[in-house]
Amino acid sequence: MNPQLDLTINRVISAPPDLVWKAWTDPKSFEQWWIPAPALCRVLAMELRPGGSLRTEMSEDGGPFVPHMDACFLAVEPQSRIVFTNALVGGWRPAEQPLMTAIITMDEHPDGTIYSATAMHKNPADKTMHEELRFYDGWGTVTEQLARLVERG
Amino acid sequence: MDQYSQQLDGIFQALADPTRRAVLARLGRGPASIGDLAQPFEMALPSFMKHIHALEESGLIETRKQGRVRICTIEQKRFAMIDGWLRDQRAIWEGRTDRLQRFVEAAAKGQKT
Repeated sequence: MNPQLDLTINRVISAPPDLVWKAWTDPKSFEQWWIPAPALCRVLAMELRPGGSLRTEMSEDGGPFVPHMDACFLAVEPQSRIVFTNALVGGWRPAEQPLMTAIITMDEHPDGTIYSATAMHKNPADKTMHEELRFYDGWGTVTEQLARLVERG
Repeated sequence: MDQYSQQLDGIFQALADPTRRAVLARLGRGPASIGDLAQPFEMALPSFMKHIHALEESGLIETRKQGRVRICTIEQKRFAMIDGWLRDQRAIWEGRTDRLQRFVEAAAKGQKT
């Protein structure tokens, strides 16, 4: 995990893994929770196999449906793990604007399911840039100021 | 979202140059005049000014005239935006997980009854 680029959400869900799996892999269910209401989500493709396409559209304020996500499944392990990326589109074709890979896991837990979502992001800038930045004393100051600014919210 | 992406593109483009990064690093310690900023670089002033303009256009720095010199300062909101990018992604995933949880737990209740 790279704390600057990656994030993980862990959640205990009071339902068995097979229900979580269904909510994730049944397009009609997925549409219900993937994006926040009142926006509407429409699944165009959900091919649950490595290389399969995951494509959605969304509609806001009653407007027309527009492309939302175009991704490719990398791993699909029933009731256990889903990995997908938008660095590829369906059929392993390289995507125009790669940004992230997501790893979804679900495991049995005494209270139901322990669900985890990890999103690993491409560095929006050149990787060497960040490394170089660290060598500048001044950058530390900027980062500190930034941290304070952010903490104040 | 598109405008946000464009702004971020501009920021990262501005950062993708060693001279501009050095200028930002210097400004991280406090405001400075263009003359002072240019001094460490073996570069003609017009070339240096191009870097200053690029930084200004990206919104990472602000410049203002103070008497006969132009003073540059860092624009902290822009830096917060770089940091805010990951926070936004986290908020999106938190929301998604919240909604999935509600959806699944409602379905589980429905199954039991």
